[in-house]
Order: sequence, then C-alpha cells, then structure tokens
Amino acid sequence: MADGNPLTPAAFQVLLALAAGPGGRAHGYGIMGFVAEVTGGEVQLGPGTLYRTLTRLAADGLAEELPGEDSRRRYYRITPAGREAASREASLLRRLVAAAGDADLLARPESA
Amino acid sequence: MSRPLGLVPHLFVKDVETALSFYGKAFGAVELFRTVLPDGTVLFVELAVGDARLLVSQEIASLDALAPSTIGGTPLLLTLETPDPDDLARRAVFAGATVEAPVTEMFFGERYGRVVDPDGHRWALTTKREQYTPEDIDARKPHEV
Repeated sequence: MADGNPLTPAAFQVLLALAAGPGGRAHGYGIMGFVAEVTGGEVQLGPGTLYRTLTRLAADGLAEELPGEDSRRRYYRITPAGREAASREASLLRRLVAAAGDADLLARPESA
Repeated sequence: MSRPLGLVPHLFVKDVETALSFYGKAFGAVELFRTVLPDGTVLFVELAVGDARLLVSQEIASLDALAPSTIGGTPLLLTLETPDPDDLARRAVFAGATVEAPVTEMFFGERYGRVVDPDGHRWALTTKREQYTPEDIDARKPHEV
C-alpha cells in the first residue's frame, strides 16, 4: 500500500475524509459521517472497519493518530505520504470515471 | 441471495508472540487488534497481511484449536501472492522458516515455492501473474506427480 500499490476502497475513503477535514484532520465519527454523506449513504463504514483501516494506514505511514486528552474522541491526520497515495488513487479514479462517461455509464435520466 | 465477502485463514499456534514476530518479519504482517482472556490467553489476534486478513490464536486444547505440531502436521497450504516470491522466501527463511520447495518457474506460469513456518504452517509463495490461459496450463501440466 505504502509502496505505490492501489489503495483498498475503505483506505481511500478514510484518507479522503481526512484530507477534506480542517488541517487534514478528522475524528472517527467525523470520518464515518463524511463517507456516508459523500456516498449518499451507499457506503457505511462501521466502527470495526474504520478501526482496522486506520490502524493499517498508520502502520503504513499514510495517517497518524494525534495525541489528545479525550480518548473517546481520537483524532487522526493524513500524512504527506497519505496525501500522495490518495492523490494517486484519485487520478486513477478520474481516468476510470472519464472512460465510464465515454462508455455512457454515467448518463442518468433527469427524472425517474 | 447472500454471498460470502471474504475468506480468512485462522491459524492456531503454540505461542502467539513468536508467531506474530515471524509473520511480521517474514510477510510484513501488521497487528490490527487482539482479544486477551483474563488469564492471559490470547483468544485471537487479527493481522493485516497485504490486503488480506489473517487471524492467529494460541493453541487451546479445550476448544480443539490445535497447532500443527500437536496434530502432527497440517492438511492446509496457505498461498500468499506477491510480486516477488524470491524476496519473500528469503525473508521467511531469515525469520525462521524452512524451505519445503525452492522458488522456481512452474508450468502454470508463476514463480512459486513453499516454506514451512516455525509453527509448522505451510505457505506457498507465488507471483500474481496471468500470462498463461487455462488451455496453456492444461497443455503444460505434468502427466503425473
């Protein structure tokens, strides 16, 4: 992951939530809320998946836990390596989404 | 209809710390969390190995959760896909594994080898390549083993 491999969907979503937060930071509930909101509720990161993903991102040096006084509200921050990995993934997704548009996969009726 | 989402090996070992040290050094495994009983027994540890999950538990005879050395072997071969099986095999041996079959080019188009970890679990290390079609592999397979 840290060596340029594609990110898992959950890893990308968490990095995206962190990058979108003020100062590249967010707490657990903030990350879950962000992902649910951006995907219109289609993706719900449960606490278990979130914890595993954050632990793995931290081990890979893509995110870090910030020291805080309240252990129930842990904050995480995206690292420069995490930003680079998420940016690379976003560029890849942009190319795929562009191709999906060309293939008429994005066309939606205005009203159902 | 519901369908399975993943397949996760759950290994029983004689000593969890020794096993975790090996999986970390050999395969870059990362501990995600662990559940420990009041008496200190490690009920299970969840690891990330690449993008895969691996569960490891201490041997608990009362649950029939027995390590390979207790059973006298294992019927299971864990196949680990990697871009560089030679490197992974070297790291595994350095961390304490023994070579069961050296990494070599196989008829199915992969570089492939097998090691046995210190607990007796067997691992195949192989490239994730797909340059042969099923027809190619069928034509190249051995007549007997």
